[in-house]
Amino acid sequence: MLEVKDVHAGYGNLKILRGINMNVPTGGIVTLLGGNGTGKSTLLKAISGLIPLMQGDVFFNGVNISNMKPHQRMRLGLVQVTQAKEAYPAMTVEENLVLGAYTRRDREGTKADLEKVYEFFPVLRERRKQLSGTLSGGEVQMLVIGRGLMAAPKMLMLDEPSAALAPKVVLEIFANINRIAKSGVTILVVEQNVRMALILAQYGYIIRDGVIMMQGEADNLISDPAVKDSFLGGSVADTSKALRN
Amino acid sequence: MAFDFNSLLAFIIFGVTIGVVYGIVALGISLIYSGLDIVHFAHGEMYMFGAFFGLVLAHNVGVPYPVALVGAMILTALLGMAVERVFYRRLTRAGGGYTVAGMGMIICGFGMSVALVNAAYFFFGAEAEPFRANLDYIPRLTFPGDINVPESYVLTAIISVLLMAGLHYFLRHTKTGLAVRAVAHNKDIAYLMGVNVPLMISLIFGLACGLAAAAGVLIGPMQSVQVEMGYLMLMKAFAAAVVGGFGSLPGAIVGGIMVGIFENLGAAYISASHKDIYAFLLLILVLMFKPSGLFGVEAKVKA
Ligand SMILES: Nc1ncnc2c1ncn2[C@@H]1O[C@H](COP(=O)(O)OP(=O)(O)OP(=O)(O)O)[C@@H](O)[C@H]1O
Ligand SMILES: [Mg+2]
Repeated sequence: MLEVKDVHAGYGNLKILRGINMNVPTGGIVTLLGGNGTGKSTLLKAISGLIPLMQGDVFFNGVNISNMKPHQRMRLGLVQVTQAKEAYPAMTVEENLVLGAYTRRDREGTKADLEKVYEFFPVLRERRKQLSGTLSGGEVQMLVIGRGLMAAPKMLMLDEPSAALAPKVVLEIFANINRIAKSGVTILVVEQNVRMALILAQYGYIIRDGVIMMQGEADNLISDPAVKDSFLGGSVADTSKALRN
Repeated sequence: MAFDFNSLLAFIIFGVTIGVVYGIVALGISLIYSGLDIVHFAHGEMYMFGAFFGLVLAHNVGVPYPVALVGAMILTALLGMAVERVFYRRLTRAGGGYTVAGMGMIICGFGMSVALVNAAYFFFGAEAEPFRANLDYIPRLTFPGDINVPESYVLTAIISVLLMAGLHYFLRHTKTGLAVRAVAHNKDIAYLMGVNVPLMISLIFGLACGLAAAAGVLIGPMQSVQVEMGYLMLMKAFAAAVVGGFGSLPGAIVGGIMVGIFENLGAAYISASHKDIYAFLLLILVLMFKPSGLFGVEAKVKA
């Protein structure tokens, strides 16, 4: 579905991504892992068109979208949910969701999708007339995912949906990501919660300093000693030792 | 002068009417500010061009006043969109607000202001022209106590309210209005939701300049139309925007009305020859005691 070929990108003259190759097949979930500041969000921005490519190409369903504006890529069904979890605080929950369906002309389908989003995240229905600035962190995360869904995506890119959330909420959100994938939306999810992400996804990429360091089936990655050392943090005893030193 | 309640009322009524016009110009400045993070210093010239377009349409072409009003709004909107597209776009794309490009944008706005004034001298000449509009079909309002409100003021009040209601409806109840608000808050997210952001920015600019033109055509029949009229209007609209809270749309209107009333009362009871100072007096008072303005948003939440 998505093919990233030798992508170089960054901000101004500052190059962050140095030759990324990546492939997200139709259906299923792929995860992109990596530490802080390694270029995960930058890669998503390059794919969705928020920053221009310096080199390389991005293909979506076989179409070269490298030179398209973000709204044009989005209209092809490539939808990104940004990391900062920005809802529009001065708009109500429902206005945010309606904005997600901004490009759609099919009233019936839009209505049905709104129902579907409320079904995935019942708390949003309860809060639908509330300004989204008053939502909790977990609720905002559900709202931005819901807003992405309202765009009727073929592929949804999520940037750290678990960041700064309690384990129980993370579980709920990941369960819903799984349901969304089951409903036929291809998913690329950026995560720092490596264990959860590798359980959720079928395939994983690990990025470091703007290059893909490692990739493979999620099951293989999770048991890979190198991944264990650098991401899963070893045993509790190791962590506690590291903390006290 | 003995205190006379009726004349006080009259000053307030005139203050409100002229104030709404300041408010309409301030509304445009606020729209551009919240949409693009830039303070548009050439907005007074949009008002001036609007007044001239209205004048040319009404006198030279000979269309009725309401048609001239709408025509001037459309022409000025197109002028504003062209200016934005050709001159501002590069700078705004590099980021407005507190960035270096934002500074460049301010200077560019000043330059545009001077350029437009000179263009206006070339096209319209230096003469101040009276705007004779046939407003016989508008009733002249008479308030108790023999306060006579001339047609042009009545018309101004009606049209201003219509424009504001229209803008409110557009922003709150239409899908495009929703997109405009989305762009004003966060361009990246609006882009990701499939909003054609550059188009919306054009629209914001066109709207704001159209509003300024309406103000020009409305003020025209009260005062005369001349090339330098933009500066003072810009300053008063700024005062209105700051008093109401920069970037706030209701604030722009309330600020405008306050500036209008303050100015009229000052002229009436303190000194008429310093009429233009009172707006800035109010501005300074507000900045001293409530710098964010009456409806101020403390800081724009941005990412
Ligand atoms: N707008 C920007 N301008 C300049 N540099 C930026 C900008 N945004 C990010 N960077 C830099 O690019 C690098 C990669 O940032 P990016 O946001 O892609 O990291 P990330 O992998 O998403 O990290 P995190 O997990 O913390 O979100 C960082 O060094 C960051 O400082
Ligand atoms: Mg990130």
